[in-house]
Amino acid sequence: MIVVNYLAAVALFCLGLYTVLTRRNLLKIVMGMSLMEASTYLFLLSLAYRKGSTAPVLVSPPDGQSPARLANGNVADPVLQNFCLTAIVIGVAVTGVFLAVVVRIAQHYRTLDADRVRDMRG
Amino acid sequence: MSHQSLSSLLPLPVVFPLAGAALAPLAVRLSRHALTIVSVLAPLASAAVLVAAAPTVYRGRVLTEYLGNWKPVNGQVLGVTFGVDAWGLTFALVTASIGAILLMFMLSSHAQLGRRELGASACLFLLLDAAVIGGALTADLFNIFVWFEVAALASYALTAFFLERPPALEAAFKLLVLTNVASFLIFIATALLYSEHGALNLGQLHNALVAHTGTADLIALGLLIAGFATKAGLVPFHGWLPDAHTAAPGPVSALFSGLMVNFGIATIGRLVFTVYPRTGTHVLGLLMVLGLVSALGGAIFALLQDDLKRLLAYDTISQMGVLAVGLATASRTGLAGTTYHLVNHALFKSLMFLCAGAIVHATGATNLSDLHGLARRMPWLVGAFTVGAAAIAGIPPLNGYVSLGLIHDALHQSGQPVPYVLMLLAQIVTVAALGKVVLAFLRPQRNPYARDERLRSGMLAALLLLAGSCLTIGIFPEWVLDNLVAPASMALPDASGYAHAVLSGGGRVAAGSVPYRYVNLRELILLPITLALAGPLIWVARRYRDSDVVTRIRSVQTGSVNDYAGYLVIGLLVTVASTALTPLLR
Repeated sequence: MIVVNYLAAVALFCLGLYTVLTRRNLLKIVMGMSLMEASTYLFLLSLAYRKGSTAPVLVSPPDGQSPARLANGNVADPVLQNFCLTAIVIGVAVTGVFLAVVVRIAQHYRTLDADRVRDMRG
Repeated sequence: MSHQSLSSLLPLPVVFPLAGAALAPLAVRLSRHALTIVSVLAPLASAAVLVAAAPTVYRGRVLTEYLGNWKPVNGQVLGVTFGVDAWGLTFALVTASIGAILLMFMLSSHAQLGRRELGASACLFLLLDAAVIGGALTADLFNIFVWFEVAALASYALTAFFLERPPALEAAFKLLVLTNVASFLIFIATALLYSEHGALNLGQLHNALVAHTGTADLIALGLLIAGFATKAGLVPFHGWLPDAHTAAPGPVSALFSGLMVNFGIATIGRLVFTVYPRTGTHVLGLLMVLGLVSALGGAIFALLQDDLKRLLAYDTISQMGVLAVGLATASRTGLAGTTYHLVNHALFKSLMFLCAGAIVHATGATNLSDLHGLARRMPWLVGAFTVGAAAIAGIPPLNGYVSLGLIHDALHQSGQPVPYVLMLLAQIVTVAALGKVVLAFLRPQRNPYARDERLRSGMLAALLLLAGSCLTIGIFPEWVLDNLVAPASMALPDASGYAHAVLSGGGRVAAGSVPYRYVNLRELILLPITLALAGPLIWVARRYRDSDVVTRIRSVQTGSVNDYAGYLVIGLLVTVASTALTPLLR
């Protein structure tokens, strides 16, 4: 059932958000962001799902399928999968920057506690 | 040039700064001059292409270019489309030309940096500039998301790049968390819209949304507004903005405040007016509330600051609020005021942040209380800052007078007394906050400054150019209004014209003029009252600087990244509730 996917995506998103809102450890915040990110991928792939469909590859289709039938929509939506790929690439870059900043913060402040890394306020 | 050949040039304004970003780290190996030439020429070249397209576009034409030649079939486009109307062009042109000025300033003021660092910072700067230009020109929702991410990545690196002040890391982390959450929201919304309508092209989306706007579309609208409001720094999505501006050096703050935040507010305008149909969506009230809260909140926080750059950053929040209010009026006058103010804000806020950067460069001080006596030491610099402050205060003949006048007119005409009064209140507090800075410069000097350096010629040239532009577009408001602002503000709400143009290889959008009288008695009477009320306010703010109330107000901005994310989530719930639930209640 695809509904399970949606529920799982929402649960993951909320779990990630909960982590970001309540954990003070910077690394855990980064992990929370990764959870949220993963949940968006799951959500998109579930949106792309069609019942009984195959992969959107038109050359040499599986048995019982013809390219014309596939082109008429009996495939999982490739555009949304494409989104996911783009977002995964961006996500890797962002996580890299995230971790680099956390490492530098650990070197500078000698702590990973978000509550002690707040010189700027007010 | 024919429309066809002009259209085929459209990718170039993005290509030039991207190419410049790739070349900058290489050019610096040759010499520092090569770096300056490459990185200033790249945005200038893209501005030149945009200027070449300007006469056609400002006459009401929409130029359309299908990248990779993926032309529309039966009103459906698969590929990325660039669709440039006067609104997008105005915003791209401002980004390209001011970007060049800011780069000139940065390379001049950071000449003491090592070669590699200088090359890398110019590269990041150009990437951000390219992303904002791309976001202005594109007519594809997923492409907007990609430009958003490019701008975001460049801004993370730029914030953390200059470790002159260790808080830069702290600011970068907050910026990362908030912007990243915003990008998730935009991503989900894009996917929702695509799976509902099978469209990403803004024109195609508009046609599909006119046919049917469902609950999922309204949720997507709420998510999109929350995401781009984070980029724009509207309250309560603003947590990252003051910190990022405080930590980054002057020209980078100017880039963030003058150009990057515009990406957020301009895209909100595009989505609300050009993509979603006006009937069936109830976002104007939401924009009005967000705008007023930002305008007032930002101004109050600005008044309570002692750190010069932080004060200016809070003022940016306030000005973004003013822009959101202008959008929310949705009238011809209001949108014209918004467009005008968007350009003005880019000019005067860049100017003021550059002044702040120059002040830090020359004196080494950041707090207002350490900057007494600056007017005597550096009269030109203080003069340039005062031009910016007077422009925000709306003192004629500067540009702010015209744009604020238009927005106030629109509020007055729409018969909404409460927002009108709140806007005037925000204006008084803003004037007080900036007046406080100018007065501090005028006081006699108490302590010697930490540094005493001269300004370099590139820095002075940048300041003069920006101050001159503020004055110029304020002195010839009729020309600017008729030729630049009116076409842009007429193009924005002409959704069906834009949709048709984007889907059929170019077309026309509505054109017209905006009624405006320069000598506006109401504004001219309100101006001295504003100035007169601002005076006592400055005194009160100084007198009760350390009082309980002030401390309590300032403690709202806790500095904790968890809290800022929490504010964002509250804002998100409010936006989604008001876009998706309001229609159900009616």
